[in-house]
Amino acid sequence: MDIFLQQLVNGLTIGSLYALVALGYTMVYGVMKLINFAHGDLVALSAFVGLTIYTQVFGEGITSLIAVITVFMFTAAVIAVVGVLLERLAYRPLRTAPRLSAVVSALGAGLVIQNAIMLIWGPNMMIFPSNLFPSTIWNFNGIVITFTQLMILGLSSVLMVGLYFFINRTKMGTAIRATAIDQDAAKLMGINVNKIIMIIFIIGSSLGAVAGLFIGIYYRGVTFDMGWMYGLNAFVAAIIGGIGNIPGAMFGGLMLGLFNALISGYISSSWAETFTFVLLIVVLIFRPTGILGEKVAEKV
Amino acid sequence: MKNISKNSMIAFGLLAIMGVFPFFANSAWIAIGTTFLVFSAVAFSQDIILGRAGAFHMGHAAFFGIGAYTTAILNVHFGWPILATWAPAVIIPVVIALLVTGPIIHLRGDYLLVATIGINIVFIQILENDLFGLTGGPNGIFGIEVIKVFGFEFFEQIHMYYLAFILLGITLFIMKSLDSSKFGRAMFYINKDDIAAQSMGISIRYYKLYAFAIGAGIAGAAGSMFAVQYSAVSPEAFNVLQSIMFFTIVLVGGSASLPGVLIGTFVMFILPEIFREFETARYLVFGVAMILTMILRPRGIWPVKFGNIPSFLKKDVK
Repeated sequence: MDIFLQQLVNGLTIGSLYALVALGYTMVYGVMKLINFAHGDLVALSAFVGLTIYTQVFGEGITSLIAVITVFMFTAAVIAVVGVLLERLAYRPLRTAPRLSAVVSALGAGLVIQNAIMLIWGPNMMIFPSNLFPSTIWNFNGIVITFTQLMILGLSSVLMVGLYFFINRTKMGTAIRATAIDQDAAKLMGINVNKIIMIIFIIGSSLGAVAGLFIGIYYRGVTFDMGWMYGLNAFVAAIIGGIGNIPGAMFGGLMLGLFNALISGYISSSWAETFTFVLLIVVLIFRPTGILGEKVAEKV
Repeated sequence: MKNISKNSMIAFGLLAIMGVFPFFANSAWIAIGTTFLVFSAVAFSQDIILGRAGAFHMGHAAFFGIGAYTTAILNVHFGWPILATWAPAVIIPVVIALLVTGPIIHLRGDYLLVATIGINIVFIQILENDLFGLTGGPNGIFGIEVIKVFGFEFFEQIHMYYLAFILLGITLFIMKSLDSSKFGRAMFYINKDDIAAQSMGISIRYYKLYAFAIGAGIAGAAGSMFAVQYSAVSPEAFNVLQSIMFFTIVLVGGSASLPGVLIGTFVMFILPEIFREFETARYLVFGVAMILTMILRPRGIWPVKFGNIPSFLKKDVK
């Protein structure tokens, strides 16, 4: 039982990270019907940018709430700019091209970001400082929760709830939903589709940036090619939840995180990805559009 | 033979150049040439699935790897001669392809793409975790023998080159035969409009599985050749990155286009070999090139003209 509860905590932590990344995938897919393969590499880039901002601006030793907030804000801003540039340069020219051309462009963009990280920061693993968050640990009858885990759970919940209300309660959110349903009709209604896509990339990339920083703080070691695996897991999470569906991405992320943690706890972590894909196939066999996906016939 | 199109004439020209290439090259270049031929065969088999059948398949390195590992395991662990491993190296990938793609073949577009990435990832984990104690874990298997026929050993690079050349020839022959067969016509309709094709009684499921089976068989044969050429196999030669490369080759070159796929293979596999000196920056340049190619030529460097109208339809027009 102890293992179960401990893995529940760990799983929810990883799950919220997956959910944050999955939101970026699902929002882009919802509007552009494109798997943004470069999104995972943006997440990795954010960890490196955050690390550099922290060590260069604040120096290794100093930790304060202000320092942490500044690192998060600046990194999110930098990654948002990169995300928007990515859309401008690699995706916008291909909006009317065959769908697979944009996929290849996305794969190429991922390769560019990944290798840019390698050229700038080197091919070796970089270690995050351990003092970004206080190392407080709570122990409830053997179940350990660290301050970092609590921060991850807390901040991602706030961000996800905020995003949910932004999408469902504001004028801009309504415009985003309208664009996702039918771009041409949205254009006719006076919605600036290019602006909506830009906003989606800003939100998605910033959420990915937060996830990337948390990955660095939580796991400490970051490598230039780590984005691919987080990205793929997050995308699988988005599909499991129902791609294009924002609560679906949150649910899918948490579910996949829990599932992975339980597999690692009870079976073996070296088979984690195999089980992830078995879960994906099982979900797709019973719910072809994901667990929270709407049952709609594809337009002919 | 007035029906031969301009594209296939260029393809034959390229083949002729490849046939005499070893007489003008040193052994290092012949080795690169052999790799090119093997990868071309794999790229064509990917094209059968992706370009002709239109199934978004991003796990082809798994079938390539299954063929390679079949030869390696049978030869190193069970002492089979290489020639005897050829048949299993084709049959086992076909059977596995049918078994694993059977349950997911109905998935649409991007869902199939992610599920096929999954096939490849599961394959790599099986190799690395050494599931049956046969795959040698992350190090792979080395010490694969050379091909022996009646005491004659095929140990020189040029021998492998011509074997690979024959493999590519057989692959092209299969592709040409497919195009002018019932399968090719069915594929053509499914690719144009799958719902109309289905209402005409063409079973999409059957033909897509058929494409996967043929593709996996050719990839398996190429994998066997790859294993013998390098006399070793290891998991990283068959990881998802390789699958992405095969996927990209077809789309960068031009899907369902013979010269396109050859050009794609050349650009994606051989140019990086040639520019090895720029080790660190080359994949960055590569990524930029992928984006630029798609922006400038969304249908590939050498797209099929007029859609891919089969020759039996064009006959009357002339």
